[in-house]
Amino acid sequence: MVRAYTQEHVYKHPWERVTSASWRKFSDPENKRTLSHILEVDTLNRKLDPLSGKLYTTRAVTVHAPGPWFIRKIVGQDICHCVESTVVDARTRSMQLTSRNISLQKFVEVEEKIRYDPHPDNPNGWTICRQETSIRIKPLSALASMAEKVEHRCAEKFLQNSAKGREVMERICKYLEAESSGIANQL
Amino acid sequence: MGIIKSEKRDPSSFASSTSPCAHLRTAYHNCFNRWYSEKFLKGHWDKVECDAEWQKYRACLSQHLKDKHLIRFLEAEGIVDSTNQADSGRTIDGAAAGVSQ
Repeated sequence: MVRAYTQEHVYKHPWERVTSASWRKFSDPENKRTLSHILEVDTLNRKLDPLSGKLYTTRAVTVHAPGPWFIRKIVGQDICHCVESTVVDARTRSMQLTSRNISLQKFVEVEEKIRYDPHPDNPNGWTICRQETSIRIKPLSALASMAEKVEHRCAEKFLQNSAKGREVMERICKYLEAESSGIANQL
Repeated sequence: MGIIKSEKRDPSSFASSTSPCAHLRTAYHNCFNRWYSEKFLKGHWDKVECDAEWQKYRACLSQHLKDKHLIRFLEAEGIVDSTNQADSGRTIDGAAAGVSQ
């Protein structure tokens, strides 16, 4: 059983600003309240290919994912570890993030892909974000009967969280915009 | 830029194994964010900066990373070795091998 969701969002900000915001999304303390399901984000690895202008980053993301009581009973914990791999191609102006869970894989596999590209209608002013989420609940016999319900809740949670993520992204973009015009005024 | 004036930690009840590295993490992420916006995006991609911050943060991480899922993942990807070395001088090949392009 796999459920897949696709979402699109247009940021009315240039690609450079949106991708800068994406890096700050989890690390700015102001966002902790909105993104309270994100407990920790650690950068595990970074690599820059100076020839191609590609930046590769791997981060560990610890997510708090409380479910209904019977899930917690079965799973035994409500914290999930995910690994996020990011490739930024500075030449072609694209950023792609892929996240998947590395714990609780016995029960569920979630993969989320996010791409930020310049918007074709306004490549220097707008950015298009495409997000694909796939959720696969493992058909364990004990879980099979409630898997449908779990999948549904899991998906709901994801959609709620990605809406929060967009809200935070918009806020940081505005902040960065104000900041860059402030600097411009000082010069 | 100075987006974060002091290293305030959210007083959440959750303390992960890497919490002791929080201020080194903040220092690194601040430096990285600045480098990303001011250098990388402007075509200066000859080298990653923030080396001093990265080494300190990494050393702390390799000491405190306790989660077995993460450790197993990192070992499998060759990002850390099982002897828990803090040395990150080596180039980590294939670290992003899991990334589909």
